[in-house]
Amino acid sequence: MKPAPFEYERPDDLDGLIALMRSEDLFVKMLAGGQSLGPMLNLRLVQPDLLVDITAIPELKRVEENSDAVVLGACVTHADIEDRRVPDATGGALPRVARAIAYRAVRNRGTLGGSLAHADPAADWVSCLAAIGAEVLILGASGRRTVPVDEFMTGVFQVALEPGELVEAVRIPRLSRGARWGFHKIARKTGEMAQAIGAVLHDMERGILRAVIGATESVPIVFSDAAALFGGNPEAGLAKAYDAGAAARALDDAGITDPVGRQLHLVALKRAINQAAQR
Amino acid sequence: MKQMHLTVNGKAVYASVEPRTHLADFLRESLNLTGTHLGCEHGVCGACTLIVDGVPVRSCITLAVACDGASVTTVEGLDHDEIAGALRAAFSREHGLQCGYCTPGMLASARDIVIRMPDATAQDIRVAMSGNLCRCTGYVGIVRAIESVISERKAKSLAPPSNPRTDVGPAGSGRAGPTAPVSAAAAPVAARAARRTEPAGAAGRVPEARRIVEPGVGAPQTTVHESFTVDHPRGEVWAFFGRLGEVATCLPGTSLLGTPTDNHIETRIRIKVGPMVSEFEGAADVVRDASSFSGVIRGTAEDARSRSSTRGEIRYALIEEQHGASTRVEVDVGFTLTGPLAQFSRSSIVHDIARRMAGAFAQNLHARLSRGRDAAGTPVAELDAGGLLVSALLSRIKRFFRGLLGR
Repeated sequence: MKPAPFEYERPDDLDGLIALMRSEDLFVKMLAGGQSLGPMLNLRLVQPDLLVDITAIPELKRVEENSDAVVLGACVTHADIEDRRVPDATGGALPRVARAIAYRAVRNRGTLGGSLAHADPAADWVSCLAAIGAEVLILGASGRRTVPVDEFMTGVFQVALEPGELVEAVRIPRLSRGARWGFHKIARKTGEMAQAIGAVLHDMERGILRAVIGATESVPIVFSDAAALFGGNPEAGLAKAYDAGAAARALDDAGITDPVGRQLHLVALKRAINQAAQR
Repeated sequence: MKQMHLTVNGKAVYASVEPRTHLADFLRESLNLTGTHLGCEHGVCGACTLIVDGVPVRSCITLAVACDGASVTTVEGLDHDEIAGALRAAFSREHGLQCGYCTPGMLASARDIVIRMPDATAQDIRVAMSGNLCRCTGYVGIVRAIESVISERKAKSLAPPSNPRTDVGPAGSGRAGPTAPVSAAAAPVAARAARRTEPAGAAGRVPEARRIVEPGVGAPQTTVHESFTVDHPRGEVWAFFGRLGEVATCLPGTSLLGTPTDNHIETRIRIKVGPMVSEFEGAADVVRDASSFSGVIRGTAEDARSRSSTRGEIRYALIEEQHGASTRVEVDVGFTLTGPLAQFSRSSIVHDIARRMAGAFAQNLHARLSRGRDAAGTPVAELDAGGLLVSALLSRIKRFFRGLLGR
């Protein structure tokens, strides 16, 4: 089980990277930590002509912090977030999510940008960052643009990147001190891919109430205004006001019919809400 | 080939590697360091775990060339390591190994726990070791061994928590400069891509007559049901279903290999899911029952690129509606996937793709039936299974028909 042959280049600046991405008639894949792409290459499910290693580019490990957000470069790893080698604007929410991604040996190489660009429905960051309200900073030959995480993933293993574009960084909004956060993942074995993810953010000071049903068969279900999940009255207390019927209707709308899958999603969301209510 | 430099167990190594070589193969095949074991080779079992720049890393899903400039420690390099020595003694004492296959990886992960988590409980250890599989011990001995090393070190006050890593970014990466300048690199890449040979079984090969694996070998893993109504009398729809080539090419990305007979067809189906492209080639036999206006298509197919295979069946039944003016088509698709694709894919993703394939199939059948014979034989574009367009379109069409038929 070895990858099919490919060429490999490792540019050390963004201009070199963009030039390589424009290689015409070639199937070019970006490589960061390779913890999702590696298995696909070994199984020969993906057979690129050229692999471009983006980890030698300092801009992609850039970390910026200001009063309302933290910007993390695409090559920041899950372990960097877990160990708080990079600043945290979420009161510990992201480090806790990072700590439960796969296994430590994977987290030491797997990256934030790589996970988002890979767009596995069962991965943690696509759901978690959609609930947090983060944005993807995209770089291409024609310049930069920003896309909210909940619009970035467009399908299974598919994202809103145009040919020649890549994830440069992720902008994570700073949560208020009193923000309540819950995240629950159901997996058959510790560290395995999720069968269901529930996430909820209630940041009253900023007037934000978001929820996510993740690890579906496709894109996560995002409630950017989740008031309807709480009968329009979240102030009564999240756990108390939670209306499971509203979540079930969202599953109906998304065409999720398997009764076991539905139950797992509802339980994951309910547990995330209980967690947020206790904080 | 790429030139690279590594420090392996304290010694400088200069090597020329093929880019696709992963770190474990490089260590085993080029340096004869066979203490690093390969189990699953796709990042699940943990047998290949070793230490790169001070922290544990999966060497089967880490390219050697991507570690250019890094410092690598394999189990051979842990002979004089104080913590690894204590762990070896504890593993022996507590029955932390039997066959030993997982042990090098276990030691790399366990050493990391002892360094980073000096207050770890048995439960913490189990969670932290969950990425290393052992088929002999039942883990109890392994957990005890790690616990005992942690308590020994505590008792000797040897246990300040520490984290050997200070840099940001993937461990092992970012230690070396760029590869050759871009302009020099682009030309050979393009030339190589042009040389790239088609995988065995792809275009140009005339397939031999294929044998259909007998059905009934277990129930299909994935089943999908689709139903739609067309404004044509049942006799017409039944005749259409008799034209096998036209029906088959309603499946997205399908093209015919040779001319189908009344009851046998050979096809190629191309499916794209994000960066994964599969090309299944196979054959199917058809049994039709005119008395019940139903039929079964059974087939098998193989993807030469990933060496995955599938077998399955499509059952259809035609039911008269609106006093014979229209026909409801009920389609049941059931199949089982084996090989790397199945190993990789989780059932929910396979199900989603199957659902969209079946949906697009129904939609194309409907379109082709409605347009009449003009459109016959036109292959339908491959399904970009990652995209939402097809399913979104299908739900719209379904809603439209439901509205039309008052269902």
